[in-house]
Amino acid sequence: MLHWLSPGSQRATAGATGIASGATPLYRGRSLTRSRSWSTAEARISSRVQPFPQVARKMELIVALGLIVLKVALLIAILLLLPLPLTWLERKIAGHMQQRMGPMRVGWHGLLQPVADGIKLLTKEDHIPAEADRFLFKLAPILALAPPFVVFVAIPFGESISVLGNEITLYVSNMNVALLFIFAVIGIEVYGVIFGGWAANSKYAVLGSLRTCAQMISYEIPMGFAVIGVVMLAQSMSLIDIVRAQADVWNVVYQPIGFFVFFVAGLAEAQRIPFDLAEAEGDLGAGFHTEYSGIRFAFFMVSEYVIMVLVSVLVVILFFGGWNGILLPLPPLLWFALKVAFFVYVFMWFRFTFPRYRYDQLMAIGWKVLLPLALANIIITGILLS
Amino acid sequence: MSRALDRAGTWVGWAFFADLASALALTFGYMFSRPVTMQYPDKEKWVPYSRYRGHHFLTRDEAGEIKCVACELCARICPCDCIEVVPYEDENGKRHPAKFEIDTARCLFCGLCEDACPADAIALGQQYEFSSFSSRDLVIGRDDLLAKPGKAATGGSVVAAQLNTEKNVLVETKEPRGYDWWRNIRRT
Ligand code: SF4
Ligand code: SF4
Repeated sequence: MLHWLSPGSQRATAGATGIASGATPLYRGRSLTRSRSWSTAEARISSRVQPFPQVARKMELIVALGLIVLKVALLIAILLLLPLPLTWLERKIAGHMQQRMGPMRVGWHGLLQPVADGIKLLTKEDHIPAEADRFLFKLAPILALAPPFVVFVAIPFGESISVLGNEITLYVSNMNVALLFIFAVIGIEVYGVIFGGWAANSKYAVLGSLRTCAQMISYEIPMGFAVIGVVMLAQSMSLIDIVRAQADVWNVVYQPIGFFVFFVAGLAEAQRIPFDLAEAEGDLGAGFHTEYSGIRFAFFMVSEYVIMVLVSVLVVILFFGGWNGILLPLPPLLWFALKVAFFVYVFMWFRFTFPRYRYDQLMAIGWKVLLPLALANIIITGILLS
Repeated sequence: MSRALDRAGTWVGWAFFADLASALALTFGYMFSRPVTMQYPDKEKWVPYSRYRGHHFLTRDEAGEIKCVACELCARICPCDCIEVVPYEDENGKRHPAKFEIDTARCLFCGLCEDACPADAIALGQQYEFSSFSSRDLVIGRDDLLAKPGKAATGGSVVAAQLNTEKNVLVETKEPRGYDWWRNIRRT
């Protein structure tokens, strides 16, 4: 059975199978989802295929598993390809903000530039410094790349769409502890950065990873606290429930402080300007990936972009109503993509507007501003809720 | 009173990130301004001002005779010693250069030869595309110098142009005068 995929609760079980039973209505309201339990699905299957219930159940299982594999493959493909347009976009935005044009020569308006860059990175020499710790040096890019991808398993992109009469949910798994899962897994990514800097045995790289260490510890705490307000409002840690709870009013209205803290901490988490101290190209060469070249360097780059998308996705889900639209009746998935695109743009916009914070300022903001704000936010939310 | 208000205003601004917000507004505005990039080899080309010191050229008088009288003053004054003039006398007893070579690889485009010339024969023109793979190709002879373009009449503009890789990589243009590049620069 598939029970191992879904943590205990009844509510999450139906989602984990990947196929929702078509009979029950899906939208708006948590009580409806409770009825979509495993047993009803089983009953439906056995009533449809009478002579061989065992075989039918196995078939259904295989289909469900296949669907999950398909979704994961699709997700990985999308996430791996996403940095291509994003680098192009980033360079274009940078260019136009500085009254330049950005890449113009490869393809129409430089559209194929990321492909050229990718080929360049693939064919470059993969250099490992002589004094480096070879094992950690090779492990670090993978450690940096894998967790952001894993996190997307817990992220819903919408309720469901119907394909060939079957309802297919737009998430791989509806965990009831999705938020915890995300924070736990994304914490591993820091190891990639730290190992990368440490293993390279270079001063710049070590300084970069030292900074990352301190930065991540200081910013994951306010980030976690900022989310608590949202969890209190939705009474759930499942991202789907959080989005459903925002059907009428987005959380950002109730949680402006929470949003602010989460967004600033997210900037630090994604190591973007003004908090990109780990790779501060002005003072540290390239920070933790100074010594990396070729495809391993590309791994770090892809990881950075995926985290940027991830933080945007989380901001949209937690504070901006996920796939709930306003004003325009666009498809939910499109609404979701539009919001995420907006936040990705904001990330890039910040990057080419702000200078970098100094190291002590970064720490001061994390501990003296964001953390008290997040705590105050929890207290205020608690008072208002009770 | 007003100072106290100012200070309060600063504090309110600080609390709501007024400075960061104005920075964001500025970059957002710039994002939709016209880029100042001159797409030089691909699409556009800069026409230099008339005072620009580009490639040398030799001039002819109204009769079509070469103006240079082969006095070798330019060769004397040249700080790089890159001009070589060999004179001859034609049937009317006038001096002309039999050989006039400028080694543009050594030239520093100071324009002293132009200043020194008593016959206004040599001057520095508008051409700036004459890079080459071999330094020998940069020694320019008399007839080539006569064929070089003269000073730009009106400069400081950008014209549409196209890269021509057949004729020794030149950017060719047909328009005599394009748009004023300075117009695009945003002043705030
Ligand atoms: S421009 Fe100056 S360096 Fe060049 S040939 Fe004339 S005098 Fe010599
Ligand atoms: S170019 Fe002028 S200075 Fe030079 S040799 Fe001729 S006349 Fe004399």
